Parts: sequence; structure tokens; C-alpha cells
Amino acid sequence: MGSNMKDRGWSPYLAGALTGLVMVLSVWITGKYFGASTTFVRSAGLLEKIFSAERVAQMEYFIKVVPKIDWQWMFVAGILVGSFIAAKTSATFRWQAIPGMWQSRFGTDPTKRGVIAFVGGLVAMFGARLADG
Amino acid sequence: MISLIYGLITGVLFGFFLQKARVIRYDKQLGALRLIDMTIVKFMLSSVIVGMVGVYLLMDLGLVKLNIKSTVLGGNIIGGLIFGLGWGLLGYCPGTSAGALGEGRWDALWGILGMLFGAALFAEAYPALKKTVLTWGDFGKITFPQILGINHWIIILLFVIGAVALFVWFEKKSI
Repeated sequence: MGSNMKDRGWSPYLAGALTGLVMVLSVWITGKYFGASTTFVRSAGLLEKIFSAERVAQMEYFIKVVPKIDWQWMFVAGILVGSFIAAKTSATFRWQAIPGMWQSRFGTDPTKRGVIAFVGGLVAMFGARLADG
Repeated sequence: MISLIYGLITGVLFGFFLQKARVIRYDKQLGALRLIDMTIVKFMLSSVIVGMVGVYLLMDLGLVKLNIKSTVLGGNIIGGLIFGLGWGLLGYCPGTSAGALGEGRWDALWGILGMLFGAALFAEAYPALKKTVLTWGDFGKITFPQILGINHWIIILLFVIGAVALFVWFEKKSI
């Protein structure tokens, strides 16, 4: 409990409001709205192109969402970098294979967590794309 | 090129704030889905309020354009339900999985891998979905102010009042 108390971080209201401000500036300066899931489509297309460029070039969805590195791709990469900087500067970076809440319910088997995380990611992305989110 | 640099800078700031508020963790995301820890809802609604007011203000000044996605009930509802199922299993969403990896929670890597497969699978299914689910309840690019025929600031005011009422309730319940 002691470590939990120390690890409260910033107020979610403050950090959320600052995020809103960055969002507004982004729309103002570059006309770009926040998003992440399109990047996974572009990346999947880029990876598939390594194996079968002709096939990817003919697929309707990859014609609509062209596999390339764009603003949003760099935005998602930036989230990783920004999180890393924030974690390192506040000593909250931690290599962890099993989240605490998962461990207390499902145990310490990293394979079990890995399989469910993979399946969850697959299902979540399919749904996100279907909803165009 | 400059657009790529703006993307990176914007992402770094967003990732920084996400980590500082501790909202990219599995425990926080599941905490919200289990209705026991509303930290991420506070974060999201706060950013939406500021973003909404700022973007509409700039729009009224003629400085920005809205980027409205089509409302397709079939895709939105079925896709939303499928997304929620996957989100509950993974405990990270597409953007936060990158952030989770950034703070060392590397189980997110399996999720990212799964998401790449999910995106590839969707690309395969797209031609069939386009003719079915994605034609159900297609209303095009609509907004609340437009369908209700009222000024957008009325909707914004109501949204802010609702969000603040929620915040007050969360704090009272300490969730």
C-alpha cells in the first residue's frame, strides 16, 4: 500500500486537460486529430508488403488505407517515447510481464497472459476498425 | 517531413501526460471497466472538454475544420462491442499499448502483435463487410447540433455540466 500511495502521479484532471490543450494546438497547427488504430493497419500492410507486395497493392482496404509511415504513425511512436521519458524521470519505469491485477486473479504464468493479450489485441483491433475508430 | 516531426512531438507530449497520470496501466484500464477506479474516465473526459471547447472556438473563428467520421450504426455498434471484448482481455487500447510498452509493461507487446494480426484480418474481411455490416444504418457525417438543429455551444454546455456532475460523483464515491 505504501508504494501505491507514493505512485499516485499527476491529477488525471490536470493531465487530461493538458492533453486536451495539445489536441487543440495539433488541430490548429497541423489540422491533425488524435488517433491510433489506423497506424496498425498501415503497419500490418507494410509488414505484409515484405512478403507479397503485389497482393497488398490489390487489396481494397490497403488501397483505402495506404501502408506508409505518416503523421499518426509517428504520433503512436511518440506515445511510446513520451511514456518512456515520463517513467524514467519519475522512477516508475518497470519491466513487468504480468500486471498486478491480472496476477492476483490469474496467477504468474507469462504464457497465459501473453496468449490472452494477443487474442485481446486481435479482437480489439478488428472491432476498432469495424467501428472506424 | 515536417508533418512527421509534428506527429512525433505531439505523440511524445501525449505519452508523457498519459504516463504521468498513470492511465496506461492494465490495472487502471481494468479498474475503469470494473467500475472500481475511474482515473481514466476523469482523464478522458477532461481532455474531451478542453478539446471540444478549443476546437469549436477555433472553428467559430474560421481557423480549423472539423474532421467528422461517418455514423454507420452497424459498424459502430457491432465494432464497438467487439472492441470492448478485446479491450477487456488485453487491458490496453491501441494508443495506450505503445505507452504501456514505453514504461516497461512489456505484456503490451503481445497485444501490439495481436493488433497487427487483427488489422490484417480486417483488411481481408473488408470487401465482405463493406457490402453488409458497413451498409447497415449509414447516416453519413452527422453531428448532434446538426440533427437537433441547435447551436453547438448548447450541446457543449450540456456535455460539460454532465461531465462535471460525474466528476463530483466519482470524488464522493472515491473511485
